[in-house]
Amino acid sequence: MTHSAALGAIAVSILAYAPPVALAALGGVLSERAGVINIGLEGMMRFGALFGAWCSLAAGSGPAAPWCGLLAGAAAGAAGGALLGFLAVWARADQIVAGVAINLLALGLVTFLLEWGMGASGGISDPVAMLPSIPLGPLGRLPAVATGAMLVLPAAASLFLRRTPAGLRWRAVGENPRAVAAAGVSVRGLRFAAAVASGALAGLGGALLPLALLGRFEDRMPAGQGFIALAAVVFGKWTPLGALGAAAFFAGAEGLQIELSSGGSLAALVPKGFFLALPYVLTLLVLAGLVGKAVPPAADGVPYDPEGR
Amino acid sequence: MSARRRWLALEPAGLPVLAVLLAFALCAAAILALGRSPLAAAGALLDGGLGGLEPLGESALKATALTWTGLAVALPFAAGLFNIGAQGQFLVGALAAAWAGRVLDLPAPLELPLVLGFAFALGALWALIAAELKTRRGVHEVISTILLNWIAIHLIDSWLVTGPLHASGSQGFSHSGTEVVRASAHLPLLAGAGSRLNAGLPLAAAGALAVWWLLRRTPFGLELRAIGSSEPTARAVGIPVGRRISQVMAVAGGLAALGGAMMILGGGTDFRYPENYRDPYGFDGIAIALIGAGNPFGVAAAAALFGTLRAGAVRLQDPEIGLHRSWPEIAQGVAVVLVAGQLLLRGLWRWPLRFARKPAAAGAPEASP
Repeated sequence: MTHSAALGAIAVSILAYAPPVALAALGGVLSERAGVINIGLEGMMRFGALFGAWCSLAAGSGPAAPWCGLLAGAAAGAAGGALLGFLAVWARADQIVAGVAINLLALGLVTFLLEWGMGASGGISDPVAMLPSIPLGPLGRLPAVATGAMLVLPAAASLFLRRTPAGLRWRAVGENPRAVAAAGVSVRGLRFAAAVASGALAGLGGALLPLALLGRFEDRMPAGQGFIALAAVVFGKWTPLGALGAAAFFAGAEGLQIELSSGGSLAALVPKGFFLALPYVLTLLVLAGLVGKAVPPAADGVPYDPEGR
Repeated sequence: MSARRRWLALEPAGLPVLAVLLAFALCAAAILALGRSPLAAAGALLDGGLGGLEPLGESALKATALTWTGLAVALPFAAGLFNIGAQGQFLVGALAAAWAGRVLDLPAPLELPLVLGFAFALGALWALIAAELKTRRGVHEVISTILLNWIAIHLIDSWLVTGPLHASGSQGFSHSGTEVVRASAHLPLLAGAGSRLNAGLPLAAAGALAVWWLLRRTPFGLELRAIGSSEPTARAVGIPVGRRISQVMAVAGGLAALGGAMMILGGGTDFRYPENYRDPYGFDGIAIALIGAGNPFGVAAAAALFGTLRAGAVRLQDPEIGLHRSWPEIAQGVAVVLVAGQLLLRGLWRWPLRFARKPAAAGAPEASP
């Protein structure tokens, strides 16, 4: 294979496989910038993937079916986000416990819904109608909707956070909630909204797995991509475009691994596990301050207590 | 003590019980709504988990793993640390046991303790990475242990087990994963060859007792709890906070690793580390620790309960029951969500007090409802 063909393949693997992680990571950025840590991204992606596939299947084989699925996936993720928001904001639960609880709930509940609700057996659903994609000859197909969402949504979120008054309030709630409350904004309302938005994006990212990439739901989904998204939030230093870059970089590392192992040259010397572990190792190094320094929002994960000081 | 105060004193133990009962009630309602019988389901679960030596062996295998991983989360919790890394530590311990149980060739009374000790040590070292990152570089243990979980999963699945530690395949049958461990490293069976009931269960119970003793009866445990209630205060009174964090995380990693080791040495995976091993006992350990309210005995009780239910779940698929096997997992998830919503549970717990008479003014004899 020529170098340009290999580079093309890696570019396609980024454009095709980064979007689920990029959208979930964007969700993570939005909630953490408002002060709500969302450890439940993995669970919300899982809900989004299942309901996305289920609704696409239920809607038949028409052109609208996968779009129904996409909507359902976002809604299912948003419901998970609402549960996180309810627990973290109104029941003043420990945010990490609440997120972990959602992941654990998703683990069993989704398996049940897949096999009992969708009637699948062996952990794999029937094929579902997929979103439109663009053929790229030998490089496969480009899932245009996923790629488009990945290119548009983080940019929009970045503009929202940096250039609008609502975005300023959103960020302020994550840095200094008391000042925002003093300005007459509902800290709880905003944080709840952030948790729901975060869940919707994670659900959307999850729904892309069956609807844009695989054409079916598998019980192992999202196979840790929610946790990669969590790493991308940190690696991207809590900004929408940073998280997008991190997601693209992680997907690129995986694409490179696939290229190397099919190329057969230096590939055989480097075990696949090293490439798969790379995003996590790099994120640890970033956190340890060995590669740049990552500083989370000041009030990230701190429950807001209106009576407190 | 008045009945009112006694009721409130029971609250810390009562809330998790209430959460579990509520979760069961919600699941029963859902099963009823599906047109099935929750009573028949409960009967099948108990029969499938406790009815005979063979089911008991399966329940014990799961309860053992859940106890160790639950303790691995609960122990650092006392010091205010959230060890999400039990899954990675569990897998590291499982692989360590599979490797050492193969290459060590010692008499049985030496081999088993040595293999378990090796697994404990590797699990401790793995967890120590997170502790050192926290104390030296200020990296929050939640995020570092999550990252370490996935580093362990990928390095083990896509390198060690498929590469250097992969079985040579000379046994003549299709075999994925590592080589099978030597018989001298197996956990001794307690009820004959017909049941997988083995020494892991009493060892896990002893582990719970040991963690309780460590937390409640040693200066080390006292210091841990002091760190958990206020780190600045603990520092101010001269407790070496950083060193204690490293020590408690190392012990926790070792405990989770013992869970993985006992899964391998107890025959849960046919005495080898299988390819793409995905049992989520480490993730479930977080649920067990939360449901057990961080108390070692609570952890053991929660592990016994959910281990039994999981083993019994195979019977839910019987045609006359007609339910899916994941109901115990769903109940566990719902219980954790309820435990997370402490404020609501507390409101529910204190609800009966509304009907009790308000205590009279201070000094007056207390009324009993």
